[in-house]
Amino acid sequence: MVSQNLVHTLSLMMIFTSFAAVEARNLRHATVAYSFQALLICGLLAAYSVQNSALIYWAATALVTKAILIPCFLWRSTQGAEDETKPLIGFGVSAVLLIVVLSVMYKLMHMHAGLFINVRGSLGELAGTNLAVAFTVFILGLYAILTRRDAIKTVIGLCLLENGVHLSLVSLAPTIKETALAGIATEVVVTVYLLLYIIGGVREKFATTDTFKLSELHW
Amino acid sequence: MSTEVVSTLPALVTIVPAAAGVLILILGRFIGWMREALALVGVLSAFAFSIGIARAALDHRVLTSFGRQFYADSLSALMVSLVSGIGLLATVYSLKYMRHQVQEGGLPHTTSEGRLTTFYGWLMFFISTMLWACLSNNIIMLYVAVEASTIASGLLVAFYWDKRALEAGYKYLMLLTVGITFALFGCVLVYAAGAAALGGHRGLLLSDLKSVAGSFPPTTVALACAFLIVGFGTKAGIAPFHPWLPDAHAEAPTPVSALLSGVMLKVAVYALVRTVSLFYPGFSPVAMFVLGLGVFTLILGDLMALAQNDLKRMLAYSSVSQMGYVLMGFGIGTQMGIYAGLFHMLNHALAKSLLFLAAGSVIYSTGARGISNLGGLAKKMPITAFCFFVGAFAVSGLPPFNGFQSKLALFVAGAEAGDWWAVVLGIGASLITLVVLVKAARTVFWGKLSEAAAAPTVREAPMSVLVAMVILAVLCLGIGIFPRAVYAPLNAASEMVQTVKSATSEMIPKGRDARNINR
Repeated sequence: MVSQNLVHTLSLMMIFTSFAAVEARNLRHATVAYSFQALLICGLLAAYSVQNSALIYWAATALVTKAILIPCFLWRSTQGAEDETKPLIGFGVSAVLLIVVLSVMYKLMHMHAGLFINVRGSLGELAGTNLAVAFTVFILGLYAILTRRDAIKTVIGLCLLENGVHLSLVSLAPTIKETALAGIATEVVVTVYLLLYIIGGVREKFATTDTFKLSELHW
Repeated sequence: MSTEVVSTLPALVTIVPAAAGVLILILGRFIGWMREALALVGVLSAFAFSIGIARAALDHRVLTSFGRQFYADSLSALMVSLVSGIGLLATVYSLKYMRHQVQEGGLPHTTSEGRLTTFYGWLMFFISTMLWACLSNNIIMLYVAVEASTIASGLLVAFYWDKRALEAGYKYLMLLTVGITFALFGCVLVYAAGAAALGGHRGLLLSDLKSVAGSFPPTTVALACAFLIVGFGTKAGIAPFHPWLPDAHAEAPTPVSALLSGVMLKVAVYALVRTVSLFYPGFSPVAMFVLGLGVFTLILGDLMALAQNDLKRMLAYSSVSQMGYVLMGFGIGTQMGIYAGLFHMLNHALAKSLLFLAAGSVIYSTGARGISNLGGLAKKMPITAFCFFVGAFAVSGLPPFNGFQSKLALFVAGAEAGDWWAVVLGIGASLITLVVLVKAARTVFWGKLSEAAAAPTVREAPMSVLVAMVILAVLCLGIGIFPRAVYAPLNAASEMVQTVKSATSEMIPKGRDARNINR
């Protein structure tokens, strides 16, 4: 039986680390927050694996890709440029948005989890919490991509977005094949690596990673 | 009735170009000629395997590999033939073109030979992943393959490594990855509902989901369709998710632009249609939404194309518009509409690839791509001029070119389904396309020689560049004059897509999907 207390604690910490990854102005601090979040995902998946043993493979893959490889790439790409370009929206608005989104998602997922087939059957009451956290992390990632000007911060936003979707897989597709999971996990790593490689070129040619300065191409 | 046959062809068509890509990256640095030779062998083999798959599909055989994970029905057969065919021509075109282009710069920390190795290696991965997407029967792996094609083409878009290319590459990878993540959510929802109805791994298989999709709860269907349309629609360049498209298509090397516009957009639409049309029989409002989105896209794309001076950028916006027509066909939702959508998809793939290759030929010779900087090139580049005009007329829908046939089929399908508003707007936008493309062609190729065109070095492009263009031009004209040549494969492919309405047209035979019609 999955411990409800453990899952609730890990879920709450996931929200905090996502928020820290979005709001930390120092890119290395944001990277550390992201890697903590990745470790929490591994912990959540391992906790759920009590009910579905296949999830332990998913947890191991997440450990290698999300908690080790991606933070390493991010750490390397922030060398010499650790401070984020000032974002469009600051801490206060972000905090209010987080509270609103989390409340709405929690209510929605616990009252209308039947929107998603087979949710209750797989994880019982915990599925609602898991989905609420997954959707909140997803929205935080999207928020980071839309409101952060620094290209590296947008990559961190993309990672959060992906983490949100991957976490939802636990509730929505618990019996999914390992090959599909491996494909999904591998792609995130390669995408992040390529994006950071191109951002390295952007920094070299534009002397900044501020996406607002990327204005060579107009419609 | 089709029969399923286990075969290695669907696996080989994907694996061989990927293996060629790996070999190019390993051997290309040491033995220069190997990279071009391996690329040609890889893509030629893929084309040969595609023909095998297409022949089997016409014989009502569905080829499967890896326990039905790869599933080549007549729709997949059409797609793999298109991808590998255009891929082959783009590779032939690249032989001289890219050798010339890499002299002017590109990826950092390497020589021009190293850049060529990287180019051909990733080109093979790009083609391979698109073929994989067209054959995947597993809904999650369909997402994986579509996203893999984005990754494989990301470095190709940023290949020139200047400010414009890097900006385009960043936007391309970021926007498409965000967009396609929405599609993953949609695929997961469909799988969750499918697994509940079918049990276990069968819920992953698109071929099996068809039979149970009608029983899914409406809210799940609405959410899944919204995610799938945003996700795959972003990749397909559907408005308002298209902003990455003009940047990427304009800044990528021309053979890659031809592949992006000619086939990658179609692969994304294929993924959209494969998944969303599962719900057509039970939830017809989905089709109406797709139709509205298609009409919005075709109008917006044409209006944006009107404002462009960059030749490749104008062609890119025109692609947005033409994808709107394709989506319009699928949104009409009858078998005739789906047939017309597929027909236009085929025709646009040929004509827009031709236009991009012709534009590349102009850039190769003059080094200029601003429409207003060019003029009178027909005197020095008659074959390129002929090919560009053929492409322009075909995309605009003028007889006797292929675009005329497919647009006529689209408008007939729309009229029969009672979607008159869409037909009227489609005809109006088609006139704008004609103005945009013919005006550009006239400025670039007719009139007095411009300064850029007057240089003594300006002359007709090399043979490998011309061969690829002439083959495409002949196909545009041939299908326009003999449209019945493609009726059988298109009709068979259209029968694989679920419909919402009854088709009464006499232009195509009555489909076996009549049992699915509920309205």
